Amino acid sequence: MRLNVMNRSVKIILFVALAAVLAVAPVVNSQDVATGSATATVLTALAVTSTAALVFGNVFQGVSATIANINAAAGVYSITGQASAVISIYMALPEFVALADGSDKMTISFSSTDASVDTLGGGVPTGMVATSGYQNIDPHNFPAASNIGSGGTTSIYLGGKIYPTIDQAAGAYTGDIVLTVAYTGT
Amino acid sequence: MITKWQNFRIPIREQRLYAGLLIALILLIGNVKAGVLVAPTVVFMDEHKRTGRITVQNPSDEPREVTIRMSFGLPTSDSLGNVFVNLQDSGITDIKAATSWVKPFPRKMLLQPGATQVVRFVARPPKNLVDGEYWARVVVTSQEGITSLPNPTGEGQISTVLNMIMQTAIMLKYRQGDQIAHVKLNSVDASHEDTLVSVIVDLSSTGNASYVGLMHCRLFNADKQEIGYRRFDLAVYHDLKRRVTFPVASYKSGSPYSFELYITPNGRKDIAAEYLIRGNEIEYSTIIP
Repeated sequence: MRLNVMNRSVKIILFVALAAVLAVAPVVNSQDVATGSATATVLTALAVTSTAALVFGNVFQGVSATIANINAAAGVYSITGQASAVISIYMALPEFVALADGSDKMTISFSSTDASVDTLGGGVPTGMVATSGYQNIDPHNFPAASNIGSGGTTSIYLGGKIYPTIDQAAGAYTGDIVLTVAYTGT
Repeated sequence: MITKWQNFRIPIREQRLYAGLLIALILLIGNVKAGVLVAPTVVFMDEHKRTGRITVQNPSDEPREVTIRMSFGLPTSDSLGNVFVNLQDSGITDIKAATSWVKPFPRKMLLQPGATQVVRFVARPPKNLVDGEYWARVVVTSQEGITSLPNPTGEGQISTVLNMIMQTAIMLKYRQGDQIAHVKLNSVDASHEDTLVSVIVDLSSTGNASYVGLMHCRLFNADKQEIGYRRFDLAVYHDLKRRVTFPVASYKSGSPYSFELYITPNGRKDIAAEYLIRGNEIEYSTIIP
C-alpha cells in the first residue's frame, strides 16, 4: 500500500514535470523562430565594389599622363566583409586601352608603386594614412598579409600611366581592370 | 584528437541568416558605384542535399551585369609562408576538385538596382565517390550593366576610362560520407632580423576534409612577457605554410624570445557551427635563439 502511494507520487511528479516540459517547449521553439536570425552565428558575406574608376580624363598626343594612387582621380575599390580576415587580392591589369571599334590602342602601365591598400577603408585616396595598410605597392603583387580592416572594410587605390603616341587617334579609350578577392581562411 | 563528422545535417535556418546578413552589409556599404553583395562566403553541400545556394544583391542605383562561373583555387603558400589563392579555370588535376560536376543556375543575369537573385548549385558527383570533402570556387563577376564610354570634351582629343570589374571568389564544399579534419604540424622555423621576428609554420592536412580553425601565435620576451599576438583564420586543404611576423624594438633587447602556437578548431565566428568539422588541436612552443 505504501509502495502504491509512492508510485502514485512518482507518477504525479513525472506528470507535472512532463507537463512543464511540454508547456515550456513551444515557448523555446517560438523564441528560436522569432530570434533565430538575430542570435545565430553570422555568416559574413564578401562584397567587392568599385566606388571610382581610374580616370585619366582628356590627354594629348605624345604627352604621357600619370595618376598617382593618392590622387583624387585614382581608381577606388572597396572590399567589405569579415573584420580582420586575411584576403587574397589579385588584380588583372590591361597593357593597353582601345577605342570601342578596336581601330587604335594606347599603352597603359602600372608601376610597382601604383597601388595602396587602406585598411581603414576610407575610400578617399587623398586621405590615406600611411600606417593603415600598405602604401605605394605593386598592383601586380599584393601583399599576402592583406586583410579586411578592423572596421570591416578595406579600400584599394590604383594609379597608372598612359602613353599616347604622337599620332594617337582621337577618341574615347577604354580598358578593363579586374579585381579578384577571396578569403584565405575558409 | 580526430573527430568524425557523422550525421551531417543542413540547418533550415540558413536562408534567414543570409537575408539578415545582406541587410546588414547593405547598411554598412551604403551607396556604391558598382559591385554586388554575395552571401554566404562558403557554400556547403553534401550527399543528402546536392543543392546549394548563394544570394547576390545589387545595392547600387545602376543595373549590374553579373556572371557566375565555377573555378578552382585553394589557399596555398610559397616557401616564404605567403598565403594566396590562385584561381584555375582549366587543367585542374586535383582529385578533390568538384569544379566539373557542380553547376550554377543561372550563370548570367542583369541585376536591377536593389534587386536580389538567388543562384542555385546542383551537384552531380561521379558514382562511387570516395568519402571526403570536394571543393570548388564560385566566382561572381560584376560590372556596370551599361559601360559608359568617356566623352572627349573637345574635337580631336583623347580620353580614357578604365572599367572596374569585380570578382568575388567564394568556397564551395561538397561532403561525401564520413568526414575527418586533421592537421599535422610539420615544422616551425623562426628567424629574426634586428627589429623583426619571423616564424613560418608548416602544416599539412591529413584528414579527408579541409581543416578549418584558428591559429593563435604569441611571442614572449626573455622575461616571459607577451610582446606580440597574432590570430589567423586557418584553412588547410593540402599543405600550407603561414608566415607570422612580430615587430620588436631590437632583437638583442628582449632575446631569447619564445614563440607559442595554438591551433584550434574552436572560435570561428564566420562559419555556422553546424558546418564546422571539428578537428584536432595543436600546441607548440619553441625558443628563438
